[in-house]
Order: sequence, then structure tokens, then C-alpha cells
Amino acid sequence: MSQPQAEALRQPLSLRLTSGVFLVIWMLIAAFPLFWITVMSFKLPVDSFAANPLSVIFGPDTRAEVGGLSPLDIVLGIVGIYFAIRFARHLAALARMVSIAGQAWLGWIVAVLIYTIAVLVFFVGIVPAVSAGLRDALGGGFLLDPILGATLTHYYSVWVENTFYHQFINSLIVTAGVVLISLTVGTLAAYAIARTGSSIAFWLLIAALIFRALPHSVLVAGYLPPFVNSREILMPLWESGAVGWFFQLFGDEPPTLYGRHWAVIIVLVSINQPFTIWMLRSFFMSIPAELDEAARVDGCSHFQAFRRVIIPVMWPGVITTGLFSFLLAYNDYLVTSLLLDAQSQTMVPAISGYFNRETTTTDQVEAVAAAVSIIAPLFILIMVFQRQIVSGLTAGAVKG
Amino acid sequence: MLRTLLLASAGTLLTTSAALADCAFENELPLSSLSAGFEAWYAVTDAMAECGNFEAELDQEFRTKQPTGFAADPSLYHIGGVANGTLVPLLNDGTIRPLNDLVEQYGQQLTPNQLITIDGDIMAIAMMVNSQHLMYRQDIFDELGLEVPTTYDEMLQTAAAIQEAGVVDYPIGGTFRTGWNLAMEFINMYLGHGGQLFNADKTPSINNEAGVAALERMRALTEYMDPEYLGSDSTYVQQQFQQGDIAMAVLWASRAGAMDDPAESQVVDLVTMAAAPSAVEGAPPASTVWWDGIVIAENISDEEAAAAFQVAMEGMDAEMVQANNDAAIWLIDGYEPNRLSEGAIANLMGGTPPYPASTEMGLMHTALGDNLSDFLIGAESAEQALADAEEAYLTAARESGLVQ
Amino acid sequence: MKRSTFFAFVAPSVVLMLVFMAAPLVSVLIQSFYLTQNVFEEVTVESCTPGFPNPVCTEEIQSRRVLDENGIPVTETSFVGWETYRVLLQPEAVAEAFSVGGGGVSALLDIDFYKAARFTITFTLITLPFVIGVGLLIALAVNNAIRSLRGPVIFISLLPFIITPVIGALSIRWLFVGDGILTAALEGILNEDIAVFAHGWAFEILMMFYRVWHVAPFAFVIFYAGLQTVNQDTLESAIVDGASRFERLRYVIIPHLMPLIVFVALIHLMDAYRAFDEVIGFRSEAHRITLQWLTFNFLTPDDSGNRAISRASAASMLTMLGIVILLIPPLWRTWRDHRGR
Repeated sequence: MSQPQAEALRQPLSLRLTSGVFLVIWMLIAAFPLFWITVMSFKLPVDSFAANPLSVIFGPDTRAEVGGLSPLDIVLGIVGIYFAIRFARHLAALARMVSIAGQAWLGWIVAVLIYTIAVLVFFVGIVPAVSAGLRDALGGGFLLDPILGATLTHYYSVWVENTFYHQFINSLIVTAGVVLISLTVGTLAAYAIARTGSSIAFWLLIAALIFRALPHSVLVAGYLPPFVNSREILMPLWESGAVGWFFQLFGDEPPTLYGRHWAVIIVLVSINQPFTIWMLRSFFMSIPAELDEAARVDGCSHFQAFRRVIIPVMWPGVITTGLFSFLLAYNDYLVTSLLLDAQSQTMVPAISGYFNRETTTTDQVEAVAAAVSIIAPLFILIMVFQRQIVSGLTAGAVKG
Repeated sequence: MLRTLLLASAGTLLTTSAALADCAFENELPLSSLSAGFEAWYAVTDAMAECGNFEAELDQEFRTKQPTGFAADPSLYHIGGVANGTLVPLLNDGTIRPLNDLVEQYGQQLTPNQLITIDGDIMAIAMMVNSQHLMYRQDIFDELGLEVPTTYDEMLQTAAAIQEAGVVDYPIGGTFRTGWNLAMEFINMYLGHGGQLFNADKTPSINNEAGVAALERMRALTEYMDPEYLGSDSTYVQQQFQQGDIAMAVLWASRAGAMDDPAESQVVDLVTMAAAPSAVEGAPPASTVWWDGIVIAENISDEEAAAAFQVAMEGMDAEMVQANNDAAIWLIDGYEPNRLSEGAIANLMGGTPPYPASTEMGLMHTALGDNLSDFLIGAESAEQALADAEEAYLTAARESGLVQ
Repeated sequence: MKRSTFFAFVAPSVVLMLVFMAAPLVSVLIQSFYLTQNVFEEVTVESCTPGFPNPVCTEEIQSRRVLDENGIPVTETSFVGWETYRVLLQPEAVAEAFSVGGGGVSALLDIDFYKAARFTITFTLITLPFVIGVGLLIALAVNNAIRSLRGPVIFISLLPFIITPVIGALSIRWLFVGDGILTAALEGILNEDIAVFAHGWAFEILMMFYRVWHVAPFAFVIFYAGLQTVNQDTLESAIVDGASRFERLRYVIIPHLMPLIVFVALIHLMDAYRAFDEVIGFRSEAHRITLQWLTFNFLTPDDSGNRAISRASAASMLTMLGIVILLIPPLWRTWRDHRGR
């Protein structure tokens, strides 16, 4: 690069400053509401709904009632968070290390479990123990006396007393099901659409686009009555001769779809199909068609070509699309709240139960704690997959 | 930490097994219930769960789910928690069963007040009553030397005096949230003015002097409220009380207990209950009486119905009431009225009418809730808002076949 | 690719979309032309409810649904043509509003459907440039930042996009509701009593703010990814030609990003048009409603347990019509690209 060009590219201080200031303001706006609900969730009700922001942050009432964090705790906590973030970036490496029998996904599950347990043990176990031990030994002092009121009681009520882990497991099932099925079905369709010039493919895409635009409340309203009455509706299928024998393999009686995870998974997969197809199609378009044509010349069928040539190179696009499917399934409120019952409910509709409960302020803070619990896994998710999101999009998924 | 957790779970196990022994009826069949999610229902369903094999679903959106859930065959729920208003859809669909035989066999301890009878058939068993009544800050009233208002005119004068003294942010709180709550306030006020909601042929008759007077009175009240009143529901008003932001409100009796909850209230022992004010001098309190209770589904086997009824009776026994005396104004034997129930009892003594639940009332309640806020925010005249509500009611009534 | 192979690949996806999206849609279209009514009979009923000290028994004439011999309510379904659409659109009221002495636009906006349509459309169109503009600005600013800082900056920027929408809307609402801390701060600065949620326009601004806050990160990631692939040669020759920084942005970078801008605009149009979470999260029913909320409200059983299925169907078909009109320009572009290929 020649001298004048480099000079032209170098930015004047004023521009760098403006851009820096803008970024700082944006980050404040982006993070503040979330930071604030996190702070609220650690206070007793009187503090969390106080009008004075300082008493929300320092929680005088909480400190007086149950204690809180000392400067030492805070320092330890910040160090802990720093390492937790640093370490999250290396989860992929850990996953490879512990992967069992070459199964990458098992490795991931184990890695995430180890990570979560390590973080929990550090923050809930080690830090309070160290600080309490020191306080007992030294009898207090500025660094050891609590200055920031904080309490875990709401988290304790949510997770232990109200057994929120049931909902957490339900969310895991629904989300995992949606991501797996929607990627499997979606890659096949998107690949075929990307590799054909026929008009059907075009009209399929347009239809998908229109389906993507459908207001979900319309669809869900259509589902509710058949889901509730599915046993009656499906009975003829079970009772008719040959077909009935086939269906009876699945169970003696037709199922009630309402409240079943797999029924909701199928619905969410369908709702998610248009977006999946569009994302993956443009991604496949960026993979040169010569690749699979070469494989076809070597005598592979379309499916073999897909398996041997495309699958190995498609992961960046699939991971990006998978993340979007994950977000849709994990964050969904409308479908899950209408089609699941109390026992099978996922986390997001479950918190609205707290808000709508006509009772106490404590419930509201518990709802805030539940809300923070719901977004915590999303934090970890971005920390781990941030690079894949950006690189997956760069790799061509957005050329559409 | 781990040790505390283990101890805690061991403790839970112990209490569960002890509680199981509390239930006189050992339930074998898997049963489930769907009800609203306020404190009283938690108490009752927890007591039911002691009989085993029982899953409770407490959902504030139960109104949406209940008719569909009970219409399924087999019904998705065995026991339903209902109130006056929410009983109507189930009655209409014929999805709940008469309880006469079951009451005769297993329900000797029930008082006549608990039997909700329609044409000689017992269709529901009530457990508590609820009503909107006046709650006020005793300390502020004492300090300023104010009388407890018995009419809305007096309430407005009192509010002016409190505002003058400047002791709280807003003198009055109100459950004016658009939708169900706002419609409820109007119905209270309109019935208090002696208004009739319907003509004989089920057409609406609210656009009249009483309707305009009720709306004007409501707007006068909003002058003393937090200006965000159109988003304020019972929980919000309760919080305003607890944080010491308001001095009085007409609020549900089921909320009274929260005022004395030291964990979240800054006004423990300072809130006193009284009858709801009258709309006009000498009239009964401008409020309505509600009851909450249970129904049993039609589309289940008789054995399941018998088991469900017995489980429900265990949930509504005297022991439960003694353990949760302040959670509601119970109708069940063993309830001890106290300071917090004075308002509700004063309402009942004053001749407050029951909420006039019926099919057309359901449509009217919804129509009112969707249309009255335009008047309060000043976008429309009172007559126009009432005309809009009548129009919305007629559209819905024609669509459902109620009015030709 | 052979036609049969093609169908084998797309079959699972197409079946899912047919069963769970096309079929409900068709049934909604049909329902919008039919009306299902209950059959009522008038009966005199004696009913008893709790009183003090004794139960109150009243005898009154009540409307009750007629049940058949199986105990299932009798209903009558009839074809009503465009009647439901007429009830929804109220052409007579519209004509009256714009005739001499009518209420004009304000009378028009008193009708729920037009009220919802007005807000939905302004909401969609006003947020669109902000989402693209803010997204682009963040992308440019991040691209400008020191490399080592980009990771954390991207992380924080993505937060509003990935967190659950209902929780996001609530977290913003809590800052302003009642004496929420931002309201309290504003009150401190302006030294007067402010109630943010007492004004329709405040709802409107906050709902739009929330939407931009939520979607701008999505636009940002896409644009940021696009910025990484800007052709350096073109950029350099633009510098040689003496193009200023702004001109380079205007004539090189934006055209390069154009397909991405169209993509983001398309996604945003579709999503903003069916705005729903905002109404629930901000509780704005009294002041501002959206078209999808209107449908949802018709579908929610009223206090008599009726769902206004016909009106909901008609409202959703009209909503569909709106989205198709909004989508025609970008679809037209795609069609031309497809033909040209």
C-alpha cells in the first residue's frame, strides 16, 4: 500500500473519538436494562422496587436483613467473572478433550456441565466460604464487612422451592428437539432448492417467505382445538383395520397432543422452516456446485454426494442457522404458553405465571430472578459461539 | 452449603410424609386441577396434594384454558377452580357435573352458603368470598383528623384534603387497568348508581344518565391517582400501598393480607379495612360480591369424579383454613374473622349485590373493558364511549347468537 | 437435479409447512366467511350464591345454551359472505366520518381495526430506517475499534438481540413504570412529576425504542459480516480518485452492502408488522394496539367463554393482505433476479 493511500485510510482523531463515544453510548444502552434486572434480582423486595437507584444498587434493607457482599467478595467476584469469560472461549477445546468415543456433541454436553458446575462452585461455594472464614478469623474490618446488600433467596425459591429445574429440563428438551429436527429437515430442503433451477424451487421460496410473515397467533389459534381433542379426532385412524394396526404400534390409544413436548417441537420446527430454508439456501449457493458435480461424475447419487461432499463443508452455515433456531425455540412464548400444560411447560411461559399470579411483591422479584436465570444460558451461548455467529454470516449465509 | 441443601431436602421429605398422613382419604387415581393462581388457591391445592397422585396447575390465564380443557373427552382436568364469572362458560358448555350425590355422600360438613345451586342442582362448591372494599391508611387519617368516607363524594373530599397535606404521592389508588379491571370498576359504579345493564331483550342499556354519572365519577377519581392508572392492576395498587405511595383505595379483600406482610410492606398494621363507599347517599356499597370455589368435570369416569370430590373436600377442610386464616375470607367452618376481614364483612352486611354473572354479562364485561379508556384519557365524550361499548356488545352478542 | 430427487429432498420440509402452516391458513380463510352461532333458550332459573349470614337465592330469566342428547352444545354455522369483514371495517362509519360534519380522521381512528393498522404501519415504517441506520453505525464503529476490543464489544452489542423478547420488553418497562429509576431521574432533571405511561405518544416512542434496541444488533452483525468482504481494490482505487471518506462510504461500501440492507429490511418489515410482544410487555392496550394483538384479542375467550373466531379470521386475512402488499417490492426484485439468472 502506497504512502498517500495509507494516509487516506488513517482516520483523523475526531472521527475515532466520535466513533468511540458512539460505541460506548450504544453499549450502555444495550446492557443497562439487563444489568439492572440482574441487580434487582439479588435484593429483597423493598430494595428492588425502591425509587432511589442507589438503594437498589446498595440494598440497605437487604444488607440489614440478610447481609451482603464485602469489598473482598466483590474483588474475588470480579476476578472470577474475568476468568469465567476467558475460560468460556476455550470451551470448544475442553469439549474436544473430553469428547467420548469421538462424539463431539457428547463432549460438548460434558464440557458445558463441567463449566457450569465449576462456576457455581466458585461463586456459591468458595467465595462465601473464604469470606466468612476470614471474617470469623479476623472479626470484621472494612474489607470484610458487607457494603453491598445481596441475597440469593429469590434464586433459592425459584430453583429449589418452586422446582424451576423442571422447566429448565423441559426447555432443554424442546430446544434440542427443535434445533436437531429443523436443521436436518432444513438442510435437505435448502440443498435441493439451491441446486435446482426449476420454478418450483422459486415458488417454494416465495411460499416460505409468505409463511414466514404469518402472524403466529393465527396459526396457534388453529392448533389449540385439534391438539386438545386429538384423541377423539385420531380415533378412526386407530380403529380402521390395516392402518389401525400400523398406528397401534405407537400406542394402544391415540395420544392427546396438548402438553406433549414432541408436538410442540414439530410445531416450532414448522414455524421455523421458512427462515431455516432461506438462510441455508443462500449458504449452499456459496458452496461451488462443481464440488458435488465432481462427486456425481465419480458415480455418487445425489444423496451420497450430499453426505460425502457437502456435509463436511457446511458446518459454519449450519451452526449459524442452528443458533437462530435455538433462539426461536428457547425464547418462544406464544406457542409454548398455549400448547403446553404446567408439567411440560418451558421456562419463558413459566415466568409469566409469576407475573400474572395475583399476589405479592416477592413473587415479582422471584419473577425477575427467574428471568435472569433464563437469560444466563444465553450469555454463555454467545460467549462461546460469538465467533461462529459472525464468521458463519461472513462465510456466505447472508448473501441472499 | 451442600450440607444445608441436604438438610433442607431431608426436611422436605419429612414434612411430605407427615403431611400425607394428614389426609383422611388416600387417593389412588391420577387427578389434576386447573385454577387461578392467588394465595388462597395455593393453600387449597397444597392441601389437596397431601392426598397423593394429584397435580395442580395454577395459572392466572386459567379463564382461557378452562373451557377448552374441560370440553375435551376425556377432560384434561378433573377439578376446576372457578368464580362467579368463570362458572358461566362451563355451565353453558355442559362440561361440569351436578354434585348433589357427591355432596350427600362425602360433603356433610359443607355449610349451605358453600353450595352454589342452580335450578336445584349443586354445580359448584364455594370456598371463599371476595369483594372490593375500602382500604385506608389509619395513621394518615388520624393525623389529618379525617372521617372514613362512606360515599364517593366524601372520598373525593377526603382525597382533596390528603392532597393538600401532601403526605403521599397520590391520595387514591385504583384498579383501572384497561380490560377486565376497568370494566369491573365501571360495573361497580354503575350498579351503585342504580343502573340496569340490559333491556328485557338482552340489548344493552348503559348509555344513560347513570352510565354518564358513573364515568364522570370515575374520571373525578383518576384526578387523584397515579397518572398511569390505565396500567394499574391489583398487584400494582397493592404495591403502591406497601410502598406508602397512596392513602386509600377500593381493592380486593384477597389483597388485605399483603398489607401486613412484613417482608414486603412498609405499612404493616397501618392499613384499615372498611366497606366500599356508596355511589349515592344511602345506597349499598358500590361493589359486588364474588365467590371462588371448585367444580368437577363431566367428561371423566364416576370413580374419578368421586375421588376428585373427596380430594377437593380434603383441600377445603377446617385444618387448611386454620393454617391459612388470613389468605382469604373463607366460607369454610373454622374461619376466624379478624381485623383484615372487616371490610369484606361490612360490604356483605351493607347489602352489596352479588356480581350478576350470566352469558350476556360476560360479553358486556369484555365490551366495557375494551372501550371505556377512551373517555378517561379525554379522547371521547362519555356518551360516545358508552355508545362504542354498546356497539361492541351488540356485535359480540349477534355473533354468538344471543341477540338476533 | 432430477425432479424426483428434488422432491425427495424437500418432502419433509414441505409436508411440515403444509400441515402446520398452509392448512391452518386455509381453514382461517374459510372461517372468515362463515359464522358459527350458539343456540340459546330462555329459562327461569333459581340460583343461590353465598351471602351473609345466609345464602342469597334469586329467581331470574337466563339465556342458556341448548345442549343435544349427548350434552354437547348445539351450534349453527352459516355462510355470511363478507359480513364479518364489514363488521370489522365498518364502511358506513368510515363514509360518515369523511362526509360533511363527520369526525374525519379521529373518528376513523376510533374504529379498532384502523387504530391498530395506523399504529402497526407507522411502527413498522418508522423503526425501519432506525434499525438499518443504527445497525450500520454500530457496524462501522466496531469495524473502526481496536481489534482486541472488538470481541467484548460484539458480545455486549448482541445482548439485546438474543435475550427473550418478553423479558427484554419487561426490563425496559421496569425502568420507566411508576417511579422507575429512569422516570425518577427525569423527574430529578426536569423537577416535575412525570408519568411516562400516561401518554399514548410515550408508549409509541418506548415501543419503537424497544424494537430498535432489539433488532439493531441483528442488523449490526449482518452488516459487520458484510464489511469484512468489502473489495479492498475498489476502495483503494476510490482513494486514488480522491474520494473523501463520506464518498467512499456512499459509493463503495453502501452499494456493496445493498443486498444485505434489503435482506435486513425484509426481515424487519415482516417482524415489525406482526408486532405483538410489545403490547403485552408494555401493557399498552389502552393507548396503542397492533394488528396481531387485535387478532389475539378476538381469539381470547371473552367472559362468556366465546372466541370471536370469525372476526379473528377476517382480521388475520386482512393482516395477511397488508403484509403481502408490503412485500411486493422486495418480492418483485427477487422475481427479476430469478428471471435474469
